[in-house]
Amino acid sequence: MSHIVYSTSRAMAWLGACVLVFLAVLSVVSIGGRALSGLGLGPVPGDFELVEAGTALAVFCFLPWAHLRRSHAAVDMLWQAYPASLKRVLAVMADALMLLVWMLLVWRMALATLDYRANAEVSFILQMPVWWGYAASMVPAALGCVAYAWRLLETLDLVQAPDEIRTEAMVH
Amino acid sequence: MDPLVLAGLSFPVLMVLIFLRVPIGLSMLVVGLFGSWQVYGSVAPLLNQLKNLAYSQFSTHSLSIVPLFLLMGQFATLGGMSKALFKAAEALLGHYRGGVGMAAIGACAGFGSICGSSLATAATMGQVALPELRRAGYSGALSTGLLAAGGTLGILIPPSIVLVIYAILAEQNIAKLFAAAFVPGLLAAGGYMGVIALYVRLVPGSANQVPALPWRERGAALANVWPVLLIFVVVIGGIYSGIFTPTEGAAVGAVATGAMAWRRGGLTRAGLGAAFEATASATGMVFMIVLGAAAYNSFLALSQMPQELAGWVGRQGFGPYTVLWAILLFYLVFGCVMDSLSMILLTIPIFFPMVSGLDFGLGPEEMAIWFGVLVLIVVEVGLITPPVGMNLFVIQSMTPEISIRQSYLGVLPFVASDLLRVVLLVAVPGITLFVLRL
Repeated sequence: MSHIVYSTSRAMAWLGACVLVFLAVLSVVSIGGRALSGLGLGPVPGDFELVEAGTALAVFCFLPWAHLRRSHAAVDMLWQAYPASLKRVLAVMADALMLLVWMLLVWRMALATLDYRANAEVSFILQMPVWWGYAASMVPAALGCVAYAWRLLETLDLVQAPDEIRTEAMVH
Repeated sequence: MDPLVLAGLSFPVLMVLIFLRVPIGLSMLVVGLFGSWQVYGSVAPLLNQLKNLAYSQFSTHSLSIVPLFLLMGQFATLGGMSKALFKAAEALLGHYRGGVGMAAIGACAGFGSICGSSLATAATMGQVALPELRRAGYSGALSTGLLAAGGTLGILIPPSIVLVIYAILAEQNIAKLFAAAFVPGLLAAGGYMGVIALYVRLVPGSANQVPALPWRERGAALANVWPVLLIFVVVIGGIYSGIFTPTEGAAVGAVATGAMAWRRGGLTRAGLGAAFEATASATGMVFMIVLGAAAYNSFLALSQMPQELAGWVGRQGFGPYTVLWAILLFYLVFGCVMDSLSMILLTIPIFFPMVSGLDFGLGPEEMAIWFGVLVLIVVEVGLITPPVGMNLFVIQSMTPEISIRQSYLGVLPFVASDLLRVVLLVAVPGITLFVLRL
């Protein structure tokens, strides 16, 4: 199970990076088209909107991985001075808070997706329904809940991270 | 409760959460949401705001530049240019006293010109330069100190992710900020080299020299780094001249460094995977802070606290430089424990209106750009000041045999040169602004 959570999160991180690479290439093609507009070419229509929706999707894909790898910025200056029991309570509290806040955000985002679907709002140039962008990001956001819950279980010592992740953590 | 009191109380609460090691972004998010709920007086408007909060932040067009620059930095690492840059700088400077150290600084500056992140620069250049410095007989304190300081050039020399965030918060032109940061960035590199030159003379036995290379080999080493120069000129030149937007510039940079990494055989399956995962971690970290700051700042805006505070400071009749120095000092102190992006996102919405009301004899845009570059420098000092200097940790983790105490001592002269540079740039705004006046 642990293996599934980690490999899914890793796969999402890769997917997000591939989306970024796609956006980068798209922008370069768009610049090229604009530069050659004398030859009847032009920028990619709606590149602006695609970059926006794509970046959001990529970020939602990245967040679970960043959390599982403990990459979020935190101040651990006083951490070593805390007693072990306090450390344990604080670590559980932080992970539980993350899970709660994220579930709240995903719940509200799901409602927003339905709202945009109902009012059929579309983007300015591509006429792309706004809810598509929300719906695409909902997938990694919802999977993120699983990753956050898993990390909480890890902190509670109920489950363990896969071996290769734990050995890496010991080296660092 | 009065919104202003609430806003005033929120800051210590936030600090307590942060010192309990709740991730900074999460702390700001929680405090911001709770505060907004209290100011609204009911939960309905807050729930409504939450519907779009994350998506609208993550799909902000100007922020899309951040993951693209991070990806560019990762590709630059895979391209193996760090080694070529170091060899080129060493060929030019290595035979002077302290030359290998100066070469490491020069290589950091070169790498910083295609990478917008300090940690990536410190990590990449540390791997290449640290063994070379040790082989050339550099003491542990000097090698770790100079590489940690050199790493900050990743952010001080454009492109720079911190400047992008500042530009968005202060509604300033990214291209002009990049241009203005360039000369202070070179000054930083020059200052660090000066520190090394002094250090090796004052502390005997802290470094050896390497023999000079024949001119032909120096030329060959320099010729190897043309892709870096080309990418820098195209990306920064293209953004500054308006041929493409900053986001497009970052896209060009990512594609160009990706192509360079591919040509040089860096895009192996393992390399690409590591680059993607590092981009994911770094982007996730930045956007978590962005999300938290959005919630916290919207609460502060609701409470009217930034305007009230700016008005209060204006009425006190403090001299403009008193306020400016107080702000810069605040960043230096907090920089010892907090990371640069969180500080900027947390404080620019409060400090910028405050500074905008003061008269430094500059136009509003010049003032905003000058202030941005000053803030950039003082928050970056935070990356190398003990006890929590991220760059120091990155470098030190590569050399367990050098104690963190030695690293702390080794970096202090470089911090001194940073402070000297801040004083200089405050005293003479023209150093930062002359590029824009050309």
